[in-house]
Amino acid sequence: MRLRSSGFWWLLSKEWAELLSSWVWWVFLLLMGPLVGVSFVSAVHTYAEASGLHGTSAGVGEAFSPLVGIWAPTFSACEVAAVFLLPFVAIRLMAGDRQSGALKLELQHPMSAFTRIAAKALVLLAGWLIALLAPMMAVVLWKSYGGSIYAPEVATVILGHVLNAGIAAALGCATASIAEHPATAAILTLTVTVGSWIVTFIAAVHGGFWEQIDDYTPTLMVAEFQHGLIRLDVLLIAAAFILAGFALAAIWMRLGVAVRRRVYESVIVAVIAIIVIFPSAFARPTWDMSENRMNSFSRDDEQALSRIRSPLRIEVHLAPEDPRRVDLENRTLAKLRRVMPRVHIEYVSATSIGLFEQANPGYGEIWYELEGHRTMTRAVTPEAALDTIYGLAGITPPSNDETFRGHPLAVPPWGATIVFYGVWPLAVAVWFITERRLR
Amino acid sequence: MVEARTADYPSFPLMSINNLTKRYGFVTAADHVSFSIREGEILGLIGPNGSGKTTVFECIGGVAPLDEGAILGNGKPLTAPERNSILFYLPDAITPWPAQSIGWALDFMLGLFGGDGTLSREVVDCFELSGLMHRRMGELSKGQRKRVLLAIGLLMPQPLFVADEPFEGLDLRQTREIAGTLRSFAGPGKRTMLLSIHQISDAARVCDRFVLLSEGKVRGEGTLAELSELAASRGRAVKEPSLEEVFLALT
Repeated sequence: MRLRSSGFWWLLSKEWAELLSSWVWWVFLLLMGPLVGVSFVSAVHTYAEASGLHGTSAGVGEAFSPLVGIWAPTFSACEVAAVFLLPFVAIRLMAGDRQSGALKLELQHPMSAFTRIAAKALVLLAGWLIALLAPMMAVVLWKSYGGSIYAPEVATVILGHVLNAGIAAALGCATASIAEHPATAAILTLTVTVGSWIVTFIAAVHGGFWEQIDDYTPTLMVAEFQHGLIRLDVLLIAAAFILAGFALAAIWMRLGVAVRRRVYESVIVAVIAIIVIFPSAFARPTWDMSENRMNSFSRDDEQALSRIRSPLRIEVHLAPEDPRRVDLENRTLAKLRRVMPRVHIEYVSATSIGLFEQANPGYGEIWYELEGHRTMTRAVTPEAALDTIYGLAGITPPSNDETFRGHPLAVPPWGATIVFYGVWPLAVAVWFITERRLR
Repeated sequence: MVEARTADYPSFPLMSINNLTKRYGFVTAADHVSFSIREGEILGLIGPNGSGKTTVFECIGGVAPLDEGAILGNGKPLTAPERNSILFYLPDAITPWPAQSIGWALDFMLGLFGGDGTLSREVVDCFELSGLMHRRMGELSKGQRKRVLLAIGLLMPQPLFVADEPFEGLDLRQTREIAGTLRSFAGPGKRTMLLSIHQISDAARVCDRFVLLSEGKVRGEGTLAELSELAASRGRAVKEPSLEEVFLALT
């Protein structure tokens, strides 16, 4: 007997109905408003004060970019939601079927486990997009205040949070599928999350290899997008994490398959993920979507640097926790890597904080080597670094006419409190009641 | 009381279970279990609690992996999709989609599996579900839930309906009525059923043939008369051949 093939749409509608029937989803949705609201109100206040509100010195905020001043903090609420709320929505969607016994009935449909997981993933994505309406309301409010909106950078921030949510959802689904009980799944999920924070901590202390790993923890990946930077390696690795998570969920969802076989299949998925992730880490293309090009040197500098074909070697004698090293990395070397593929940077230090290396005469030195010529500087500013490189390459520094003037806006967050603490919860409550009555 | 049918059924099996073995650690829950299900019959897997009925059903239904043995169709091992197209397994003690209504559950399962929608009204009436269609699955009593799940099972398109403890949670009146309903849906050209029943009196009421299971092993398979002969051949003849007496003699 041949069963009808339109099962996917029925499954999709069932997953949606199950999402709407779960308390954790409504709690998650309800909290999104206040979470975004507190971030947005605080960000707009700070932005307004820096722009001259309440008599602060006008002009301070002239270089202010809404990306850093408004969107990064406002959307950071999504990061909190993705770490602490969304995984539980995913766990509920997965574990609910198993606990109620519905899975035993549904698994008898000749549909692959991957298709089933795709239905759950699509519904979770839809749920996340609905939750993103809260920060989108912040965008509308900002516009109503007369604030500047540069669409590419807002879209980049949203992309980052969608990918981060994808990782959180995939992790939640995978743990819920592997663990027998949702509480175990929740503990496993939090363990992975805390584990990624530990990696960040170790990277800050030890640097080196750990720093490279830390680049691909969800927190760091989102941070790149919040700075308006799209990196191909981050995109590929995030996609690999998401697909691997959902694949594991699909593998462990099948009840009638021996555990040993599921373990083998999981190992295969892990190996494929590693095979994809390792070369992806070397993908160089990046796109700076920020209006003020905060991740790039000026166009003139980039053009001048791109003329340098020889490999550039930089040796930095600064410890991982030294603020100068953080400054040099973020403001100069990260930008340099984007325009000079043949740059090789080596950090040298004997300790993690550098406090006891200050007496060492070589500590703090930054050595640049190009075509056999070496020069040293202790300055960590981008200007100093560029001057040193131009000097070594024999290039006349370009004149930089490009200046971002910023979008100061000295307006308090009118109406935001009502919108996020009143209108949003009310709208969620109305939807909840309507949905319950319709069922 | 529903009388057991005496109609002749095709001698070839719709499905055969061959040496099915399932272990949980050092415990063998099902030990080389073999039997056949003939088209149109109601076959009862009879055994006390803990005899391995649910384990056998979970393996047949594809919910638990087999350690040894095979499930055969036309003499060949069935792949998972082939098995799913032949049988629908209804587990015991489940409350699927607790937040959804009965109407939703029936629609969903019909839509997902492409069952016979024209039967829907008849099945709903047979199981007296008309007045409950808007009730949520999680709010139902055990008996109501069992009736809904049996209704779902009968609406599914697969020719073989495998139900674990279909009378669990039902009172005597409901058991008799539902036994009659199940009987009305079974028969040559209609549905074949494999039911796991631990109440021997319930089994005698509804089944055509029986598989007696004890401590994970099959102790006998056949009609009541065939099982009586089997008991006699083992030197345990029963004076009044009832299923209870035969079961006690063979296990």
